[in-house]
Amino acid sequence: MAKRVLIVDDHQPFRAVARELLESAGYVVSGEAADAAEALAAVAADSQDAVLLDVQLPDRDGFAVATALAAADGPAVVLISSREADDYGLRVTACGARGFIPKSKLSAATLAALLE
Amino acid sequence: MASTVVAPPPRRGVIRDPVLLLPLTVAAGLAVGWLAVREQVSGPRIAADLALAWGLAAASLVVLERPRWRQAGWLLAATAFALLAADLEWATSHVLWTLGFVLAGLWAAFLVQLVLTFPEGRPWSGVARVAMVAAYAVTLGGQLVGALMAPDARDLLSVASHPTAAHTIDRAQEFAGAALAVTVLFLVLRRGRGLRGPTGRMQEPLLLAAATTAFAGLVWLGWVIAADGRVSTLETIARAVASTIPLGIVAGIGWSRLRRPQASELVVELRREAATTMRERLARALGDPTLDVAYRLPGARYVDADGRPLELPEGSERALTTITVGGEEIAVLIHDPALLDDPALVESVRATAALVLENERLAAEVRSQLAEVRRSRGRIVAAADAERRRIERNLHDGAQQRLVTLSLALGLEASRADAAAAQVLSRSQDEVEDAIAELRELARGIHPTLLRDDGLPPAVEALARRAPLPVTVENTVRDRLPEAVELAAYFVVSEALTNIAKHASATGASVLLEREPATVRVTVVDDGTGGARIKPESGLAGLRDRLEALDATLSITSEAGLGTTVCAEFPCGS
Repeated sequence: MAKRVLIVDDHQPFRAVARELLESAGYVVSGEAADAAEALAAVAADSQDAVLLDVQLPDRDGFAVATALAAADGPAVVLISSREADDYGLRVTACGARGFIPKSKLSAATLAALLE
Repeated sequence: MASTVVAPPPRRGVIRDPVLLLPLTVAAGLAVGWLAVREQVSGPRIAADLALAWGLAAASLVVLERPRWRQAGWLLAATAFALLAADLEWATSHVLWTLGFVLAGLWAAFLVQLVLTFPEGRPWSGVARVAMVAAYAVTLGGQLVGALMAPDARDLLSVASHPTAAHTIDRAQEFAGAALAVTVLFLVLRRGRGLRGPTGRMQEPLLLAAATTAFAGLVWLGWVIAADGRVSTLETIARAVASTIPLGIVAGIGWSRLRRPQASELVVELRREAATTMRERLARALGDPTLDVAYRLPGARYVDADGRPLELPEGSERALTTITVGGEEIAVLIHDPALLDDPALVESVRATAALVLENERLAAEVRSQLAEVRRSRGRIVAAADAERRRIERNLHDGAQQRLVTLSLALGLEASRADAAAAQVLSRSQDEVEDAIAELRELARGIHPTLLRDDGLPPAVEALARRAPLPVTVENTVRDRLPEAVELAAYFVVSEALTNIAKHASATGASVLLEREPATVRVTVVDDGTGGARIKPESGLAGLRDRLEALDATLSITSEAGLGTTVCAEFPCGS
């Protein structure tokens, strides 16, 4: 069965490209969110297998959202950022996320590798 | 504010010359003495009154020499005459007797005012003012009312002889007098506790005398109240004890004179080359440890010798003496008002200290400007850092985001296009990827995100990981440091590692971050060829300004063949 993914990023053009990228590889994009509040609401309202979560959101940072989702036993979280994991240090592994993908390296293959 | 100008000695006419007080009181005293002998008053009583009156007159002459104390001087003289006037009750003339009766206690009220306003003529406190007014009400007011009903044929003011009422008034005066004595005793003791320096030296003998007199008065009144009548021996003793008040005033003046240097000694003291500051020398020379020097800077600002801002005090607690050079104010001495009692001394300080103080003023001005420059440099660096942070954020949120999206879109199109188009699209994507990587490096160099979010050690570890040679990091920094220190320390490590990679031919390097109670030390060591130095145009030379704005130091040790050590030390209390 196709995996359902929620895309969380405040940059609309990025969300559009990411959606097309994932859908062309057979993923189902269950929804899009532009900030942490929308993301948490979408997770509560719908069911997903994974959340593609930008680190830098306008209201809270992605680490806080990932920590909240992990604590609530929510869907797997994959962090994305236009920075590299090295720019965030230990917080990438400490927040309970499944993994980290630099945005420019985002593809169905890199995502699948983390979700398997 | 106390007087800042040393007044010339007042000119006086022959009639107003206070010295005339002396023959006047002597004559009045002898006249009263003759009355007393005729009335067969006891010898000790006459002696006590004359000693007190003449003592007061003599003290008034000494005190009137001091411009600041004129009121106290005239009060002393007035007390002497009021005391002799009270003794007119020994006169046979009805007019004189009535006058003596009405004025019987006025001298005591004068004494209360003298003590509670000494030396400057203003009451010490609100309670002191109330006590003074009460003293006049009890003595003058009480006697006037008493005179209206005194059962004595000589009383010209008597409206109706009323022995019971007159007795009641006497009792009321005795009780009120005792309460006043307690109040004065309390005020004097409290005053004595709060005094020090020249003011203390000058007032202590008077306060001691006043306390003793108040106590003697209390004993006398207490006895009168208990025995319900006059006790002449105790009254005589109380009056004799009161003569210690003029003695105390004169002793205070003499005591403070003895402890004070002469003007000539002061000149020697001030000219002596010493390791101490002018403030310390002046304080010692004038015997006033509370003395302060305020140097005047342009814009009517005042600073201390270290260039720190200073406010001139207001009110009479402190006196200000202005020091001028060529008509221009250069400094203000803030000191004990008691020093103004010796105008010659203050004048010689002005003359002697002016030039030295002018030098110190210039030094203080330079220190003040230096501190301002230091603060302003700190502000400039902080403003530049805020700007760096804003630029980094803009790069990340703007160009980088768009390039990332573009790169993904190109990749997506490449996967759908035919082989020839896919090749072009892939190459384009690679170019965009390179641009993103360069932009990321640029942003990191401007203001590293990890440093801002996680502090110095993680950011330095990230630098070590990205370095093209093995770099070990040792760290004892556990807390977050001030932002400016973190950023400067980070740039030192970053610049040192860049230099090692470029020039040192090293096989490895180590970074040491050390937290000590008052400092943070950052050391970067390599095992390369050495022989490095800080060149004027290098990145490390540029960092020096940033470090100096934080009072930090940067040093480099690099002997040929022995590797290079770069060390930065930041003052930073934990």
